[in-house]
Amino acid sequence: MRLHPLSVPLRAVSRAIGFAWAFLVGGVALSRGDPVLTGGAVVVAVLAVLAVVGYEVAYFRRFDYELTEDSLDIASGVFSRREREIPLRRVQNVDVTRSLVARLLGLAEVDVETAGGGSTEANLRFVSREEAARLQEEVRERRGARERGRTDRADATDSEAGDAAATGVEGGEPAAAGGTDAEASTGEFEPTPVGERGELLFELSDRDLLLYGLLSFDPRLLSGVVAFATFVVPSLGQRVDVPNVGLAVIAAGVLVLGLGVWLVSAVVRVVQFYGFRLRRVGDDLRYERGLFERKDGTIPLSKLQTVSVEENVLMRRYGFASLAVETAGYAPGQSPSGGSEAAIPLAPRADVFTLARDVEPFDEYDLSRPPERARKRYVRRYALAALTVVAAGFLVSRFVVSFPWYALVALVPLAVPAAARAHANRGVHADGDHVVTQKGWWRRRTTVVPNHRVQTVIRSQTVFQQRWDLTSVVVDTAGSRSISGSGAVAVDRDGSEADELADTVVDRTLVTVGVRETPETGGGQSSAAAGD
Amino acid sequence: MERLDGKVVVVWLWRVLVFAVVLAVAAGVAVTVLDPGVSRLVVAPAVFGVVALLGTLHALLRYRIWRFDVREDTLYIERGVLVRVRTTVPYVRVQHVDSRRGPLERVLGLGRVVVYTAGSRGADVAIPGLAAARVDDVQETLRRLAIESEPEDGEGDAV
Repeated sequence: MRLHPLSVPLRAVSRAIGFAWAFLVGGVALSRGDPVLTGGAVVVAVLAVLAVVGYEVAYFRRFDYELTEDSLDIASGVFSRREREIPLRRVQNVDVTRSLVARLLGLAEVDVETAGGGSTEANLRFVSREEAARLQEEVRERRGARERGRTDRADATDSEAGDAAATGVEGGEPAAAGGTDAEASTGEFEPTPVGERGELLFELSDRDLLLYGLLSFDPRLLSGVVAFATFVVPSLGQRVDVPNVGLAVIAAGVLVLGLGVWLVSAVVRVVQFYGFRLRRVGDDLRYERGLFERKDGTIPLSKLQTVSVEENVLMRRYGFASLAVETAGYAPGQSPSGGSEAAIPLAPRADVFTLARDVEPFDEYDLSRPPERARKRYVRRYALAALTVVAAGFLVSRFVVSFPWYALVALVPLAVPAAARAHANRGVHADGDHVVTQKGWWRRRTTVVPNHRVQTVIRSQTVFQQRWDLTSVVVDTAGSRSISGSGAVAVDRDGSEADELADTVVDRTLVTVGVRETPETGGGQSSAAAGD
Repeated sequence: MERLDGKVVVVWLWRVLVFAVVLAVAAGVAVTVLDPGVSRLVVAPAVFGVVALLGTLHALLRYRIWRFDVREDTLYIERGVLVRVRTTVPYVRVQHVDSRRGPLERVLGLGRVVVYTAGSRGADVAIPGLAAARVDDVQETLRRLAIESEPEDGEGDAV
């Protein structure tokens, strides 16, 4: 199959604009009004555009893809050829993105992710909207059929049953999916609007969308403002003679900037998550969102690695939370677009937990907090941080712009409540099927890891932690979020407790995966034979 | 609990030496260019001395702390000077096992085993400084154990 013919002009234009612009601006600036040189720059720019168009035509002509019964085959490449075969049962996510222009032309971009490698495994830019929907649907169906076939064989040792399920005639879907799934898997594909298949799990109302924008304020954005301010402030201080007025101006400026950042982040969120809907189609979760650029992605539940509930301070205050579901393809926030791929951006806390349990049934948990001495450690740490700020303030006041730096000393006593909050928002719970960890006092993240998804268990102790006999336990999964260090971690546990936790988690993992038959109780000697 | 071959310290010390030389040269160049009034003949040897001393200390401590254990169902590794790390890898999670031997390692008759899992920190699991015969042995054992612990129904699929 070829890409959509309109993808040639769309790709060429989006690429050529940047190219030609760079040549034109650079060339014109360098030629400094010399007519010959300026003309040369224009010619080069035109040539660049032609080259891009030629390349895109060749790309289109040499791009070929095919969805077979069990794989997605892609042959591509202008200068060096590449033929790639992606087994469907290894596919993690299939995402369809439609930018504003693509929507006007009826096109869509398809990204297919598997667990391996860093980048997107297959990127189809662009196919028609119907073709994108067909790909998304058929990948789901065929993968589902494969998986059903496999378990059927394992259960009933009847390969015929597996084949029957593979054709989708028996429709062995969970009842929750409703009759719509049977309709969807009749093999004959009809381009029904994507929004109408499956069971609607969640829809973000306009009011909640607005709330989400306002509540999901990310303090990290402020750090950018602070970095920017360090450039502006010194020149401001020189210009304003009266130090008190200067201070007022700075304070007002900071306030305005902060409000501005908040509003901008709110607007960005609203644009990103406009019209958010989450549906369950068979064994997949499927979301769509976006005001200008529509994103439509699948999250296969059979590939689920972790489930996390995230609440920042504001959300906690008003009883809201967001839900993130992680697969090995990519994590929320690491998606190709860089947007936050929350399964639910914002909903009342109880609803979030209901849905989380629907996706991955986990029991009530009772988090145990780090030992009391950890809190003392946090007090010291925050006090040290506050003292650093005071020292920096003193230096700025002394050398750059004079202001009452000693007012910053008021920050130091705040270390005590801050430490208490940090302590109260860290914890861990392990039961037969799951490990639940929690951390983060501004943006609290509660991560649920099913035992059968645990890859390795890592205990780590920095020199400071060694002094206090505290250990952090990382429960690593194949989820790509763990790479950025934001995976499931039980921070600052008592040394022996951490050992016990690590042993228990490993034992339970071995049992759930079927390597060991019974859970062990302490001791390194295992009598249970390895499963064969 | 098994320890590494003592000769691995030579490999580490060699790296420390290279690193110290590079830093000393860089410091010397910086002093020459910036000219802060200190002779580069003082700065470069000083930088070399400090880096070499700290590096040697680190290498020795690292060797003292490094431990691993090929257990029945898991591979256990203990390492790290500043951050003490203890990793447990169930064999069922092992994707593949590499053995590697660099030029210096070959001269010393050493090698290392690298164990990959689907987990994000997979590449972390490497056992350096094993005697050549032991490398093959460990790799073979891990490979066998990884295959043996594979459940038949595919339930253990990592991802």
